[in-house]
Amino acid sequence: MSRFRPTDEKQLAEIVSAALAGEEPLEIVAGGSKRGLGRPLQTPHTLDVTGFAGIRQYEPEELVLSAGAATPLDEIERVLAAKRQMLAFEPGDWRALLGSTGQGQTLGGVIACNLAGPRRIRQGAARDHFLGFHGVSGRGEAFKAGGRVVKNVTGYDLCKLLAGSYGTLAVMTEITVKVLPLPEATRTVALKGLDDARAVAAMIHGLNSSHELSGAAHLPGASGGALTVMRVEGPAPSVEARAAALRDDLKIFGNAEILGDAESLKLWVGLRDASPLADDKDGAVWRVSVAPTAAPALLSQLRHALDFRYFLDWGGGLVWLSVKGGEDGGAHVIRAALAQDQGHATLIRGSAALRAAVSVFQPLTPAVAALSARIKDGFDPKRVLNRGRLYPEI
Amino acid sequence: MRTHFSLAQLADPDLEEANKILRACVHCGFCNATCPTYLLLGDELDGPRGRIYLIKDMLENNKPATALVAKHIDRCLSCLACMTTCPSGVNYMHLVDQGRRHVELTYKRPLTSRLLREFLARVLPSAERFRWTLLAERLARPLAFLLPAKLRAMVQLTPRHLPPRGLVDQPQVFPAEGKRVKRVALLAGCVQKVLSPAIDDSTMRLLTRHGCEVVVAPGSGCCGSIVHHMGRDALGFARTNIDAWTREIEAGGLDAIIINASGCGTTVKDYGFLLREDGAYAAKAAMISALARDVSEFMAALGLKPAAFATGQRVAYHSACSLQHGQRISAQPKALLAEAGFEVLDVPEGHICCGSAGTYNMLQPELANALLDRKIRNIESLRPEIVAAGNIGCITQIAAGTGLPVVHTVELLDWATGGPKPAALA
Amino acid sequence: MLMPTPDAATIARRSEIAAQLRAIVGAAAVIESEDERRAYESDGLTAYRALPLLVVLPSTTEEVSRVMAHCHRENLKIVPRGAGTSLSGGSLPLEDGIILGLSKFNRILELDYDNRCAVVQPGVTNLGITDAVEDKGFYYAPDPSSQIACSIGGNVAENSGGVHCLKYGLTTNNILGLEMVLIDGTVIRLGGKHLDAGGYDLLGVMVGSEGLLGVVTEVIVRLLRKPTTARAVLVGFPSNESAGACVASIIGAGIIPSGMEMMDKPAIHAVEDFVHAGYPLDVEALLIVELDGPPAEVDHLIERVEQIARQCGAVGCRVSNSEQERTLFWAGRKAAFPAVGRISPDYYCVDPTIPRARLPDILNYMAELSKKYGLRVANVFHAGDGNLHPLILYDANKPDELERTELFGADIMKYCVEVGGVLTGEHGVGVEKRDLMGVMFSAADLDQQQRLKCAFDPQGLLNPGKVFPQLHRCAELGRLHVHHGKVRFPDLPRF
Repeated sequence: MSRFRPTDEKQLAEIVSAALAGEEPLEIVAGGSKRGLGRPLQTPHTLDVTGFAGIRQYEPEELVLSAGAATPLDEIERVLAAKRQMLAFEPGDWRALLGSTGQGQTLGGVIACNLAGPRRIRQGAARDHFLGFHGVSGRGEAFKAGGRVVKNVTGYDLCKLLAGSYGTLAVMTEITVKVLPLPEATRTVALKGLDDARAVAAMIHGLNSSHELSGAAHLPGASGGALTVMRVEGPAPSVEARAAALRDDLKIFGNAEILGDAESLKLWVGLRDASPLADDKDGAVWRVSVAPTAAPALLSQLRHALDFRYFLDWGGGLVWLSVKGGEDGGAHVIRAALAQDQGHATLIRGSAALRAAVSVFQPLTPAVAALSARIKDGFDPKRVLNRGRLYPEI
Repeated sequence: MRTHFSLAQLADPDLEEANKILRACVHCGFCNATCPTYLLLGDELDGPRGRIYLIKDMLENNKPATALVAKHIDRCLSCLACMTTCPSGVNYMHLVDQGRRHVELTYKRPLTSRLLREFLARVLPSAERFRWTLLAERLARPLAFLLPAKLRAMVQLTPRHLPPRGLVDQPQVFPAEGKRVKRVALLAGCVQKVLSPAIDDSTMRLLTRHGCEVVVAPGSGCCGSIVHHMGRDALGFARTNIDAWTREIEAGGLDAIIINASGCGTTVKDYGFLLREDGAYAAKAAMISALARDVSEFMAALGLKPAAFATGQRVAYHSACSLQHGQRISAQPKALLAEAGFEVLDVPEGHICCGSAGTYNMLQPELANALLDRKIRNIESLRPEIVAAGNIGCITQIAAGTGLPVVHTVELLDWATGGPKPAALA
Repeated sequence: MLMPTPDAATIARRSEIAAQLRAIVGAAAVIESEDERRAYESDGLTAYRALPLLVVLPSTTEEVSRVMAHCHRENLKIVPRGAGTSLSGGSLPLEDGIILGLSKFNRILELDYDNRCAVVQPGVTNLGITDAVEDKGFYYAPDPSSQIACSIGGNVAENSGGVHCLKYGLTTNNILGLEMVLIDGTVIRLGGKHLDAGGYDLLGVMVGSEGLLGVVTEVIVRLLRKPTTARAVLVGFPSNESAGACVASIIGAGIIPSGMEMMDKPAIHAVEDFVHAGYPLDVEALLIVELDGPPAEVDHLIERVEQIARQCGAVGCRVSNSEQERTLFWAGRKAAFPAVGRISPDYYCVDPTIPRARLPDILNYMAELSKKYGLRVANVFHAGDGNLHPLILYDANKPDELERTELFGADIMKYCVEVGGVLTGEHGVGVEKRDLMGVMFSAADLDQQQRLKCAFDPQGLLNPGKVFPQLHRCAELGRLHVHHGKVRFPDLPRF
């Protein structure tokens, strides 16, 4: 068991090449906050990429930032905030949820896992802000893709491929992302006491309105009763007007309260970090993505067979579950409830044994699985990078 | 686009014109988006851009048209929606006219096709011959199923009842009511007189009521569209009309030449171009074209008298291709109907042809029917009480596909300002 | 333009192949005669033409699958084609390949307002989607200028943008799912009405893949609620620098307009002659900034933008106060290409993207190049995201003008890459920019992209000759240079 810590791309390439030669897989780690995500790895060696950190270029007026892949997200967010900018996809801090003892997450980790918080419904996920990177493939070759601009269709969009690939295709060393202005003000319109179906209906109503929501979530188990919350952001006069108009529009669902900047911030950070489920240490936590209209029926179906706590984000399009008990953490039931091509479920938190036993990620159809394996072949034929992290054959 | 005409070729004024048109085209493909046949068939060859390309190839290389090329050009409706859409000002109309002529001159059609076209070319332009033919067809109607598709379509379009001759049947002068403010000629036309004499009668009444002396000039008749769109020489028709109207101008002057069938109007407005190389007629033709007006644009300029009674019916206004694309008249008819108190409804997908397109519904029945079905669905989705249009072809075509009353815009305007209620609304 | 050498044996078998394909799609859907094939010899980039072997126009996914499976078995090349409006030669035919046209796939299959998405066939036009949902107050946001005619399938292939992509994203940010056919005929589905997908983001990889990875047969697009209001500011500037500074200041102030377009003096004059939108003729640059959204927000931001514009030295600032006025402001910009077409027999549109800050530099450089090559150039660009559209004016009927034009364009693109930009922002590489890929990517970069292609289409049957300049065989690319037997972790610290 060895731990390697390269400090430049050349060393990194050598390490990967060596791993390749010996067919000895590497586990890519920076802050270690996401070691509990994905299928558990059995790798002899650890590749510590913390040497690739530091903001390389930040041009606020170009809305672009480049940094070493292992730059702590905290640092990036601080630097951006100082210029009143942000990573609009609102990546969650899942340390509490995952019980990680590692340090904070890095930019590379966030991209590699394609995280996104509540604002995904308006601004997209990490993959939608990922403009370019430098990296070393599992073939031990350094390469780059993308660029520093948003409008770019020169060659294949390898950024999309790398986002969400959990480090199975290449080790990224430098990452360029798009950044956006921080909203000047925030308001949250909050409805109480709605059941799943009414909550989703209310969120659909809000999202289909012209008030430009940047968040829509439902917390059934909030203290004080179920809470359905919708966020508007922007310049102060706009936000006041829109929140009031939204409250009016939602009168058929009840009388909503309007929460101000500070309360909103706290609430949405909590949602981003999946705080409602974080204290439930034993549950198997799943993230299920469905069409919003399908969420209530899904939940009904699951209730028949599973004991779980939950909350909804993305207007109902994201169902967070914390499943109690059961041998497989609810895997069988959850997978059965999701019809082909109508959603996907990912096990976010579970013991290593559980993650080894069930499909952590949505099983792929044979054709897509074969295609994915062939893609993997092109980047990491010997499977030296995070072997088995996504699927057994990848 | 880059063209390859030789200097010798460019000495021919028609080819020179074709070259100019082709060079304006940048092959952007926007025209395909609004072409009804491209919509139905999804084939580049059945859209304007592809047709332009086919015609370019034929003319540049002086190649005879083949059956396949003729097929695609024949499928063109000449609706001219492409011209409205084209950002580069390509005069597709003049190019496809040349294309059709080239096909007619160099391609020998199958016998049935030749017979049918010959028949249409001889019968339709003469109201009398048309009237007798319709009577004969009515008799043949029960046996229509025995006929080949092309002929069957034609027979099935025959109206069940032929209306009696109208007031505007013969050349004559209709005096203005009250003070005369304008003197206008009314295109005598051909099939409209037989199929729906009420349209000319309404037009005459509307105009005279508004102080216009209306002249149906002796010697004027079919505008030549039908023959022209089959790729044949229609200049004879043009010269005859130009002569008739020129005589009227010399006799008493004309403020306008009113045309109430938009398909004809487009052609009369093109007389100046069609006869540009004719030493004797070029100037006269240009003058005639400059005087030509669709009845709706003329009435919009003249001003409509207030409605004589409360109207308010829901009228789906079908914008005929030749009117909206050919003559660029879209707003005036609707404005007039609204002024007359009707509730005017816009037909969804209004830029797409109904499938009439002159003789198209007889020559290309499958495509025409597909377009008719689409048009009917769009019209009926509005749940109108009345359908109004500014072209006899559209009126006949749409009436064949719906139980709703289909009338000419002028019939409604005439009725609203004091004329009789259109028979179709009874 | 060097294309792969056509295979004579395949061409000799044209009729036989046509018969085989007719057995799959029906006689009317296979075009074999030369006269008819000619209409397909080019797309929107008319400088390049080639007659395809055959044209096949399927009507169903099953037909597409069977045609592709057949071509795969027979080693026949396939060039997919949508509306044929590509400006980069994306559907330029191959003499020994078939054109697989998707224009019969023109139906909208489902409109799902609650889930804010539409399921459409690839031949539906971009604007056709918006038209279908307009009455309910929705629209499909990416709006390339050819939106009246370009197909959504083509948009997917080119990751099309448009004026509004600054605020609303490109095609790739607005696609939720696809059905596609792989080269061997396998039909797969990616994504759906839900967000994200399990496994690799193949959906993301497909968008912008220019017909090289598979044929799209169904698309699920995101629908957005149409903004309540939109207002525009039309600003003239005495110099490109001041206009560029204004753009930077607006962004710097935390404002993301829904559209921000710039035009230079030649472009302004060309469009004003054509459209008479009332553009000022004495300014060096014109900026159109559009803000959309709820009235409270729009009114507030319009004021701020106006202020910023004046601070940056605007010589004339008009704010639209009605929908009519706003449309008029845009009329000129939207007519830019055809307007230029009227003052020149031909024009060539380049499509690079550069960092916004470098806009004045590239404009100055282009003025130099214009003198060097003796060709006029007019510029319109998406100032908001730095995507330029220099329009180089030439006459194809003059012997060497096309060549000089292409050199001019290449120089522009190279400069843009040098200052941190990219070759193409939204039109795609196609054939047009293929040979410049090396300016932006190293051999290693291009090889890695090629390996992705090998996973989808190892025989290289889909759209060969496009995007990538040099094709290596997949076997060659797959080879590893590995030193066996020795585990070499020489002088690196171990923990």
